This record gives sequence, C-alpha cells and structure tokens, in this order.
Amino acid sequence: MKRLIFIIIITGIFIQASGQKYITKNGYIGFFSHTPVEDIKGDNNQVASILDISNGEIVFQVLIKSFKFEKALMEEHFNENYMESEKYPKATFTGKILNPSAVSFSTPAIYEVEVEGDLSIHGVTKKVKEKGSIEIAKGSISANSRFSIVPEDYNIKIPNVVRNNIAKTIEITVNIKYSTSGNQ
Amino acid sequence: MKLKRPYRYILIVILLTGLAGLITGIYFYNLRDKDLLKEKPDFLISAEELQKEFESDENASNIKFVNKIIEVTGVISSLEKGENNSMNIALSTANSMSSVICTITAETDASGLVSGQTVTLRGECSGFLMDVLLNNCVLIRK
Repeated sequence: MKRLIFIIIITGIFIQASGQKYITKNGYIGFFSHTPVEDIKGDNNQVASILDISNGEIVFQVLIKSFKFEKALMEEHFNENYMESEKYPKATFTGKILNPSAVSFSTPAIYEVEVEGDLSIHGVTKKVKEKGSIEIAKGSISANSRFSIVPEDYNIKIPNVVRNNIAKTIEITVNIKYSTSGNQ
Repeated sequence: MKLKRPYRYILIVILLTGLAGLITGIYFYNLRDKDLLKEKPDFLISAEELQKEFESDENASNIKFVNKIIEVTGVISSLEKGENNSMNIALSTANSMSSVICTITAETDASGLVSGQTVTLRGECSGFLMDVLLNNCVLIRK
C-alpha cells in the first residue's frame, strides 16, 4: 500500500513536471565571424536546454569542444588558444523570459520575447538581455535567437597576428527545438 | 641578371624552402577533421560503462576520454535530426535521464537505423553535460 502511494506520488510529480518543463539535448547554437580575410563558422548540435513554461525560466548548456568547424586548424585554435576549453569546458546561459505572459503555449504561433540572464563563457559571467522568439507548433516548442557578443568582454584574447581574421563582434545563432510529444 | 653559380644555388634553395613552407601552410590551413573510419579507436566500451565512468567521476573521465577516439556500443534510444542535416543518435544507459549522444558526420548513412537497435559508433569524445557527448561519429556496425 505504501509502495502504491509512493508510485502514485512519483507519477504525479512526473506528469506535472512534464507539463511544464521541456528538455532537449539536441539543440543548436552556432557562431559566425565575418571579416574580409575569412569567414569562420562554428556549429554545435549538442546543446542541452530546459524551458520551464510555468515561469519562463530557460537554461542552455554547451560543451566548447562540441563546436565543429570546416577546418581542423580553426577548431584547434578555438579550443586551445581562444576558449581554453580544457580549463573552461562549458558555456552556460541561465535566465528568464521577461514577458512569458505574451506567449500562449497552447496556441501555435511565433511569439517575440525578451530574455534576460547570466551568460557564462570562458569563465566570465555577464548579464545579458537579448531578443528572441518562441515558436509554438504542433508537437514542439522552439526557441530562437540571434545576437552578438564581443570576445574581449569574456576575456578572450585574440593575438594581433590574427586580429584581422576574427570579427570584433561575433554573431550567435540559437535554434532549440523542444519536443512536447516524446519524453525528451 | 646573371648570378655566380653558388649564389644561384642558394637562391634556388631559398625559393624552394619558401615554396615548401607555403605549401605546408596551405595544407595545414585546409586540413579537415580526421576521417574516423581510418583511425584506430583508443577505447572500446559499452554506452552503459562510458556513461557510468563520467557520472561517477567527471574530472577523471575528462582526462581519460576527452579528445580520444571511442568506439561505443549500445542500444539506440532516440534519433534526432538537427541543424545543417546533422543527426544525433542517443544510446541508452542505466540512467534513464542520461545517455551517450553521438553526432554523426554528414557522410554517415543512418537510414534504416531505428530505436531499440544495437549499434557500434566511433567518435571523438567532447565531454559530459547531462550526457556523454561524441562528435564526428561514424557507423561501424549495425
């Protein structure tokens, strides 16, 4: 009997949690640097993210080493010289949708949102406030954003020799799709 | 302009060295990721064991596995398409909340793979978030 009650409670918690929190481990975050010398693009398809629609809390987590580049040398420099991924293996964002009431999670549409929170890259945490969108579709919720960061803000040093190869501001693209049907 | 013979040789050597340097530079600049089908794995391990090692000691496992080539065998728990035609194959472990996620290369043919199937993938370990993450994965056995 005790066991049955326990199972009912646990199931209840799970049902409640699954109704409010959406998780994915297959999200995408990419960055793009454009200069007349060269374009550099890094893609990460292993972004873990949790979106809690009850209060608008949103979390992203990535491993720096999961960013893939067209050229192996770019990836090596990115990890070893700029991001120091052995010392700082992760980048995270923890924040909140400032206007969660603007999103009707049961009505398919694209909603403009503003997100504010702490962005941690290369061991440096900064408060950021960026625009994005939440797309509600049948069976999925997507969170998308495009914004820019300045490497120097995160204490990422770029040697003078390659200063002209790397843009002063780096464009970040976030495309996260949370499944609302399966268990992920 | 006519140079004396020894100077001419020296000039040729300098030019050739410069050219060799330039070619090496261009070669390294354009180098792609390793094709893991041609590489020997550093570890042969089951998805369950790999995840367990990271869960019990992440720091030690980072030192042991990150940047190493791992051939991992497990049961597919999910197949998820991502951005740029990418595909993540998750292998189940003893922990239902955590798996081994393998992002396969664009050249890897994953058609016909289904959840519940046992597969062996070879990839480079990036580390651990909620799951163990492998990149540049190729399909070894299905």
